Amino acid sequence: MTKRIDELGTHTPPEGGARDPVVTVSSLTKRYGEILAVDDLTFSLHPGTITGFLGPNGAGKTTTLRLLLGLAEPTAGEALVFGRRYRELDDPARRVGAVLESADCHPGRSGRDHLRALALAAEIPPDRVEEVLELVELGTAASRRVKTYSLGMRQRLGLAAALLGDPELLVLDEPANGLDPAGVHWLRRFLHWFAEQGRTVLVSSHMLAEAAQTVDHVVIIDRGRRLASGRLDELTEPGCTLEDVFLGLTGGAS
Amino acid sequence: MKAVLSAELLKQRSTRTLPGVFAAMLGLVLLAVLLHTLGLPARDLSTSSLQLMVLGRGEFLAALFSAILGALSITAEIRHGTIRPTFLVTPRRGRVVAAKVSVSVLIGAGFGLVAGAVAAAAGTAALRARGIEMQIVGGDYVLLVAGAAAAAALWAVIGVGVSALVRHQVPTLIGICAWLLFVEGLVAGDVGGLGSVRRFLPGSAAAAISGQDPGTLLAPAIGLALLALYAAAAALAGSIAISRRDVG
Repeated sequence: MTKRIDELGTHTPPEGGARDPVVTVSSLTKRYGEILAVDDLTFSLHPGTITGFLGPNGAGKTTTLRLLLGLAEPTAGEALVFGRRYRELDDPARRVGAVLESADCHPGRSGRDHLRALALAAEIPPDRVEEVLELVELGTAASRRVKTYSLGMRQRLGLAAALLGDPELLVLDEPANGLDPAGVHWLRRFLHWFAEQGRTVLVSSHMLAEAAQTVDHVVIIDRGRRLASGRLDELTEPGCTLEDVFLGLTGGAS
Repeated sequence: MKAVLSAELLKQRSTRTLPGVFAAMLGLVLLAVLLHTLGLPARDLSTSSLQLMVLGRGEFLAALFSAILGALSITAEIRHGTIRPTFLVTPRRGRVVAAKVSVSVLIGAGFGLVAGAVAAAAGTAALRARGIEMQIVGGDYVLLVAGAAAAAALWAVIGVGVSALVRHQVPTLIGICAWLLFVEGLVAGDVGGLGSVRRFLPGSAAAAISGQDPGTLLAPAIGLALLALYAAAAALAGSIAISRRDVG
């Protein structure tokens, strides 16, 4: 998959202030009954960065991403993309691409039809469907029903859907799940290429060794609260890995 | 809106759900009509009202299966999680519901036309083959088929609305089936002294549109207006509910 990344062409940088934060999360709180899933969370993302959104299972990562993407409403605080609530964006598919952990597709529909339906709704030309299918190397499997796909193929189909609108921000929830080593390598190269265009990536993960090789910024949360955030190289002192920092912060160090 | 509509049409065309539900409906229509027309004693098929009731099985089954298909257009998206990419691309969720309503109306009308026509044709052929004189005339046939189309289209909308409210597939489908197959029948059987309200219920309003049981049910036009009100209320409530609630 490595060759094609260089053939993708260049992305036109978004108009307007390039230094404005792409994502602004302020005092974001989400309560489900007794459970505080996200607790007064604040962070922001800037263009051209790849931010690892790290935390143990159940830390509130997926809930935060759902709040950011307008799938759930915060109890308090706000999560903005490009200065607006996601649900108020005029053309969200062309600004934000997202792959949620569940790799959402109908098992009885072909990969191509899954993408075509989304492209129709977003008014994206059908040629772009074939482009993203080639990009994630699903061209030959595209007319097969999704139920015949491996987990890795479903992940790549999800990524293809996220890339349909050639977005400026990519939000990925545990994207390495189900990918084989070559797929993980390809994804890392892809995300670096993506960010070099001045675009922004937010990627949640609990796979720290992989994250450390991919991201340049991190936001670490546990029990819905932010434990640390900043540049990866400033958080990890020499001789100290991201894993050491993470386990120290989350109390998982033995 | 046109974009969301064409996306919904493609979703319907690109799985086997639509042909599967259609085939099940058609099979049951033939089974129900032929069992009644060939199985009942001739004296139970001799009047216009009795013949309308048997041929009206087309309308009933079209309404039931259209409601199921309308409901599946939302519950299948929730079950498989495709509701998330759908709402990411179209965050104004009311537009998604409106598109699903429009497509369901179209499919429901088609289901109703086919089921109504097949029931009328098969039922008439079977009765004639038994030498039973047809008491229903040309205008009754028009009402049977057109009424089935209207009733099924509106029940498809009720299916969309109820599924947007309930969201989970199994309770939605059980609810629709239980209502049409059982609850309205209980009321019709005057359980709890409710017999007089039966004609105002949505299943009976649907039957009224195709001209069935004129002594008991509402006039076709009144039934149509009433069922349209039910459908509009269900679609509106479902649209508001799904726009406000979090997507799991």
